[in-house]
Amino acid sequence: MKSKCRYFNSMQRPTDLNESQWQAVRHMGTHLLISAGPGTGKTHTLTHRIAHIIPSLKSNEKVLAITFTNKAACQMKDRLTALGVDPAGLFVGTFHSFCLKLLRDYFQQTALPKDFKIALPQDIQGFDKGTLERIAHMKSSQLAIAPDDEYKAYQRYLRQNSWIDFDDILREALLLLENEDIAAFLRRQYRYIFVDEYQDSNIVQNALLKILACDGVLLTAIGDANQSIYGFRGSKVELFRRFQEDFLPAQILNLQESYRSSPNLLAASGQVMGGLELLAKLDTKGKLVMHTAASDRAEADYVAQQIEKLIGGFDMNTSRRAQHSLGDIAVLYRLNAQGHVLSKALEYLGIPYQIARKPQRASVYSDEDLLGQNEEQLEYNVEKVSLMSLHAAKGLEFPVVFIVGCEENLLPLDLMGMKGDPQEERRLFYVGMTRAREHLYLTLARRRQLFGRTLMQNPCAFLADIAEELKAYEAAKHSTPKKDPDAAQMKLF
Amino acid sequence: MKFIADLHVHSKYSRATAKNLDLENLYLWAQYKGIHIVATGDFTHPKWFKELEEKLEPAESGLFKLKDKWAQPIDAQIPKSCRGQVRFMLTAEISSIKKREDKVHKVHNLIFSPSLKAAGKIQTKLGEIGNISSDGRPILGLDPYDLLKITLQADAKNLFVPAHIWTPWFSVLGSMGGFDSMADAFGDLTKHIFAVETGLSSDPPMNWRLKQLDDFILISNSDAHSPAKLGREANIFDTDFSYDGIYKALSDKNDKGLVSTLEFFPEEGKYHFDGHRACQVRWHPKETIKHKGLCSVCGKPVTVGVMSRVEILADRDEGNKSKRWRPFQNIVPLPELIAEAKEVGANSKAVQETYMNVLSKLGNEFYILLECPIDDIKRVAGDVLAEGINRMRQGKIEIAAGYDGEFGTIKIFNSGEREHIEKQMSLF
Repeated sequence: MKSKCRYFNSMQRPTDLNESQWQAVRHMGTHLLISAGPGTGKTHTLTHRIAHIIPSLKSNEKVLAITFTNKAACQMKDRLTALGVDPAGLFVGTFHSFCLKLLRDYFQQTALPKDFKIALPQDIQGFDKGTLERIAHMKSSQLAIAPDDEYKAYQRYLRQNSWIDFDDILREALLLLENEDIAAFLRRQYRYIFVDEYQDSNIVQNALLKILACDGVLLTAIGDANQSIYGFRGSKVELFRRFQEDFLPAQILNLQESYRSSPNLLAASGQVMGGLELLAKLDTKGKLVMHTAASDRAEADYVAQQIEKLIGGFDMNTSRRAQHSLGDIAVLYRLNAQGHVLSKALEYLGIPYQIARKPQRASVYSDEDLLGQNEEQLEYNVEKVSLMSLHAAKGLEFPVVFIVGCEENLLPLDLMGMKGDPQEERRLFYVGMTRAREHLYLTLARRRQLFGRTLMQNPCAFLADIAEELKAYEAAKHSTPKKDPDAAQMKLF
Repeated sequence: MKFIADLHVHSKYSRATAKNLDLENLYLWAQYKGIHIVATGDFTHPKWFKELEEKLEPAESGLFKLKDKWAQPIDAQIPKSCRGQVRFMLTAEISSIKKREDKVHKVHNLIFSPSLKAAGKIQTKLGEIGNISSDGRPILGLDPYDLLKITLQADAKNLFVPAHIWTPWFSVLGSMGGFDSMADAFGDLTKHIFAVETGLSSDPPMNWRLKQLDDFILISNSDAHSPAKLGREANIFDTDFSYDGIYKALSDKNDKGLVSTLEFFPEEGKYHFDGHRACQVRWHPKETIKHKGLCSVCGKPVTVGVMSRVEILADRDEGNKSKRWRPFQNIVPLPELIAEAKEVGANSKAVQETYMNVLSKLGNEFYILLECPIDDIKRVAGDVLAEGINRMRQGKIEIAAGYDGEFGTIKIFNSGEREHIEKQMSLF
């Protein structure tokens, strides 16, 4: 029988894989952790590996591929289809969608109420935000929970409404897999498991994997410890580091050739990550622009003006060669509260923009949503500049990236009682920097309005780790846009 | 009936426009100029749309008039010689910035609507897609193809007209932001476009050199950013005085409702030649080719103007006409002619005074430029201006061509010639 899949019996390295990617694709016989820095072809390698493995499966065997978001799942399905993989042999989805499927499939074996529903955050009444966050953190960072009164009250409340919350989807699935018959059946079914963004998995997910990835089932995890940024949601970068202890025997492979950023940007981000050196495979010329503004408003104006320049101007007076389009540009910030002043500045110049939110645990409204089947179909593909938090930028890339508010209390975050883990904040900055392909603008304001207070700001310490010769300092230009001579005439003509 | 229409203007809500660019001043200046149908412009802008709803009322089918409440105070300011009926037509312009296969395209397109309802539908749809409140000519990351689709879906009688199609930065065929053909830009929907706007820097004969433009009728408008710039270019119709009359004149290939167009001398346009404004490099296309397109001052590629771009895309020799060709007359705005006759700046007080004086004695600007007997002009405005208008009618003027955003400069008289004309006349 002729297989559509290009990997069937293929022993030759395809031209679109480099040597280390090919090694990762071909690796057999043990669990595998692929450590893949930004732009090293993480998804590319993972999808090729899946495509490589699928032809060796028996007809009743499947592959389980876990992604970080529903969107990533859709993209992976598309890529696999493009490689000629038959989707019938696959389950691609998030941990949550896979676990929800298990709970529905094996409903009889769970202790869940009949017709249980997923609790929507806006439905939950009578518990304050702090309490809910604390409980969510317990559920995602501890295997055995010693329930306190609040916890018990909350669980009772959920059960009264026949609800389970987002974290419980995973915890209930873990309970279900204590049933050895079910676990064994799943192991016979899913012979290979792939997990993307492994650096952001949590202890519950780790426990699920430990149950599923044994008795000959092989796990491939891929990720980058330097990009672990979801500790506040219970992710544990330590899990990445102890992969070889959790899954025996395991091999670790590194992908070090980066195809995303221009060499100077790659060097700069490596310096922020303590001298990390990835191999730059692009020879594009990029700019690393540093800008200090007097205030957050001046900073936003600077960003808006640079964007207009990059797009080649909007009228006869500002017109110049268009280097980039609206969709090529992202503006990233630490706190969503910083977005407002940027929106204003972009609106003033009429620059189309959209505010992207980070993947919300709360964005689930039905099983279909959770399984990624209700992806919004936009009627028109409209380009806009993207505004988003550094967290939301995970996994994305843009030719031009602005990181605004490179200030010491924002990065690392230590402001009005909000405090991030310094190491994780550094990784977050690194994630932001490595989103840029060609140009990266790092900007800061001396004075900033936040949450109704005026703050006097100092530069973020991470900036000092970047070698001076990589930086281009740009001063603020106080020129207002030149008026159209036609418009200037207030007299008769 | 015969009438003149200027179908591309803006409101005060567009970027870089005059603060007094409102309906009252459009009404006023249309009469000074002799325009019968003037575009509203900017109907996508919510505040402007509100003003249109408030101040206009339906008149002839698809046309609107300024309500008496706002028209009457203006009427008093207008010399009797210039008074005429003014109607508004609903129009908007959209700036599309969108990447297709690694090339960023920036294209401006006009939309004409027969009713507030049809215009409102487009406004609502575009409002869902992007920000239409910041700029009367909104910038959207929407492909021109999709904009055309939205226009057609909103109302079958909407008209979609690619604006100033040769402008380097912002047009469908422009050297910098454009496509190589209408079909590249609009694909299977191209057949729903009936007219294109030539813009100030090109004249009809330049457009006739492209077979791909044969199916489109060429229209000319001012793209005014201030009331006084109305009618820099315009269209002369002889058809039913209604939206439908105009629709038919543009869409029906056998209709003769569009009689002729009034054109800028294309050399006077901002982008006729190639060059760099900042480097003061002004090149004829041949010069550009000689320099391989690179500026002799800064070494960067020059802004390729309209003449060059036409030459690149042309597939027909000069001197041939297209199927839907119309006669045209080149004009120079009267204030510029007065300024040239008096050797003063076009914005000077002397020009303003003379302008209002001749208008009040002779009639509106188009009448003076196109029809008024030269002897009448002599009597009212002197021999030099009369001779200037005479030379303009015959096309006997010299122009240093515009380039890279700089308007061309006209020259009608050589030094000493003005005095000579005056003396000669005083002999009689």
